[in-house]
Amino acid sequence: MKSKSLIMLFSTAVLTLTSCGQVKNYADHLEDYVYTMQYHNNFNILQLTDIHWNYNTSTKASRTYLDKVLKQANDHIVATQGAGAKIDLVELTGDQFMLANAYHVESFVSYFEEQAENYGFKYAIIWGNHDHHGLYNPNWLSQKFKSGKHAIYSDENDNLYGRSNFVIDLVDGNNAKWQIANLDSGASFSETAISPFRDYDYIRPEQTQWWLLQHNRVGDAVPAIAYYHIPQDENLKAWNAIHNDGATNKHKFFKLEEFADNGNEKYQSDFIDVAKDHNLKAAFMGHAHNVDWTVEYEGVVIGLGVKTGPELYFAHIDVNDQDPALQEGLASVGINENFDLIGASLVTLKDDAGTFDLEHLYLNERTSGDFVRWVKW
Amino acid sequence: MKNLFNKENFLFHELDRNQRKQSLIVAIALIVLYIMAGFTFMNMLYCFADAVGSIVSGSADVMIKDLTRSIPFFLSLFMTLWTVLLLHAFYRNVNEERRQRSLKKNAIAILAFAGVNILYILGGTISGKYLSLVEGSPSPLFPLDALLYSLLFVAIGVFALIYAKKLQVKYPYAVPSRGPIVTRARFFYCLGVTFWMLVSLFCFGGFWMGLFIIDFKHGYAAYSIALLFVYFVNMLFFPFWELYYNELKEEKRKEVLFPLALIALGVSLVSTIFYFVALGLNLDGPANVGFGVLPVAFAANVNIATLLVVLTPVIVSIIAVVKGAKMRRR
Repeated sequence: MKSKSLIMLFSTAVLTLTSCGQVKNYADHLEDYVYTMQYHNNFNILQLTDIHWNYNTSTKASRTYLDKVLKQANDHIVATQGAGAKIDLVELTGDQFMLANAYHVESFVSYFEEQAENYGFKYAIIWGNHDHHGLYNPNWLSQKFKSGKHAIYSDENDNLYGRSNFVIDLVDGNNAKWQIANLDSGASFSETAISPFRDYDYIRPEQTQWWLLQHNRVGDAVPAIAYYHIPQDENLKAWNAIHNDGATNKHKFFKLEEFADNGNEKYQSDFIDVAKDHNLKAAFMGHAHNVDWTVEYEGVVIGLGVKTGPELYFAHIDVNDQDPALQEGLASVGINENFDLIGASLVTLKDDAGTFDLEHLYLNERTSGDFVRWVKW
Repeated sequence: MKNLFNKENFLFHELDRNQRKQSLIVAIALIVLYIMAGFTFMNMLYCFADAVGSIVSGSADVMIKDLTRSIPFFLSLFMTLWTVLLLHAFYRNVNEERRQRSLKKNAIAILAFAGVNILYILGGTISGKYLSLVEGSPSPLFPLDALLYSLLFVAIGVFALIYAKKLQVKYPYAVPSRGPIVTRARFFYCLGVTFWMLVSLFCFGGFWMGLFIIDFKHGYAAYSIALLFVYFVNMLFFPFWELYYNELKEEKRKEVLFPLALIALGVSLVSTIFYFVALGLNLDGPANVGFGVLPVAFAANVNIATLLVVLTPVIVSIIAVVKGAKMRRR
């Protein structure tokens, strides 16, 4: 009797722990992934990426840095667009954390809630590969993200790969003027059970199909912009086309390390290949901290955001360093003093015809006065 | 193999009441420290992994900044581990002189680590390295909590010294030594046992934290359970060896090592095979489910450290089988 009870108790516990509830088919619930925001010309999206709060981080010091970035961005927007203009949306494009714990998550969400209230923005959160790496349950992290009053985040119990897949429709009345796609580009996976290495993940075909359905919902004429974490194969293809094959695509900023994409032909994403034919205007990501290189490739502006804050690693730009890639980057931004490649990126949607501005902010804290440069795309 | 837990097989069976009490106190203290070390080790690994991530990415300056902020975590682990060593002065004591020496040596080491930690935290706070004594991150009270933890170990160190100098005359430790003290290939033996202990500590922290942080849903149930099973096996083997096998009488040890090692090998193989089958079903499991408790996961593309953890019980069991077979032949 005793052993029977134990077996029943154990089975119930296992079932409770592992039960998935009702896994929904994403195609039948498209509306569950949709957020709307009021569109206006000069809609400002500030991308912060790879903040990387971790066990070694002084969150107090990091908050001071983020305060400066937000203030600088807000002041810049007001100075260039006039009073009343503001940051409308902050896109947090992954790796908010790495080797962090619940304390970091709580502090992070409460910080962005506070700033969202101060500046009047909403903030969208996308998972990066390292956000999985913490002393918290990923489901709890999702709940924390969802709990933010100003947060835009979705994690459905569905058959769609990844967690943070959602769209933000920018609407004027009932009409969508732009669509912002937020995609979870995953973390990593083993090719086989005994592989000594793992591959970086990629945007899966069903995610592309999901976005197509979302975009069809608002109409193919609506311009779109995508945010995700891990660069896909197009970044490297564009770099090679320019540097090996002499292509003359517009390109700018720095590439001082590899894109750290999947790099395996077998696992190339079809997202940009497909989305470029459906009015995708731009795709921005993070992941490789020493890269903010941006390129116009097959009609889509593809670029990495500037890494935000000094956690984990970042590039020190030394004007005397003769590395050709660094010199190329320096020439493109027109800066002739040493600085660190950290800050933020600002996208301003100019009108509903699909035009936008892109600027990179380099902000370094210095005892002798902070280094601040805005560089236009 | 019969009556594995028969009282007569254990060293404590021959002890008098006072000796049993002393023996129990040491065993309980070892268990408490093992638990503390498990969690301290996980914290330290988190700091260390991030720092290694910085250096391999070419940002030595970030690594130095990070490590100098997180020194209290490293010292906290050292204090805890050295207290385990201190307890081993009682656990494996060939003679009184050796125990006395070991007690003093390790108590001084603990006091040194704790003292440096306290001075470092106070100095760091005064100099502005820590923005305040409760700057926060990774805990709300950091670095004050690390300072209080150090004070606890100052008390332990001082008590050990007082015991070594005065108290042991009044309260002599009279429990005979447990387990063999290796003299041949001592360096490699110590290295191997230390590595095994660290894997065990890591898996202890990983198992208990894993219960709360591993995602059993989203279709990853098989991998989640397999990972926890591997950690559970790793977590149990070392304490079993320390608290069961080494507590047996010499003749019983000779008798049970081989069959116990075979059982351990069977369990290890089951956990290893289960892990690989589950990984085959959830190839993205390590990144999406177990990242928080996988070793060296800062290097997102490296599976080797995890494989080492998975295989450790198998390796340990094979060594035990070989040793058990040799002991049987003698």
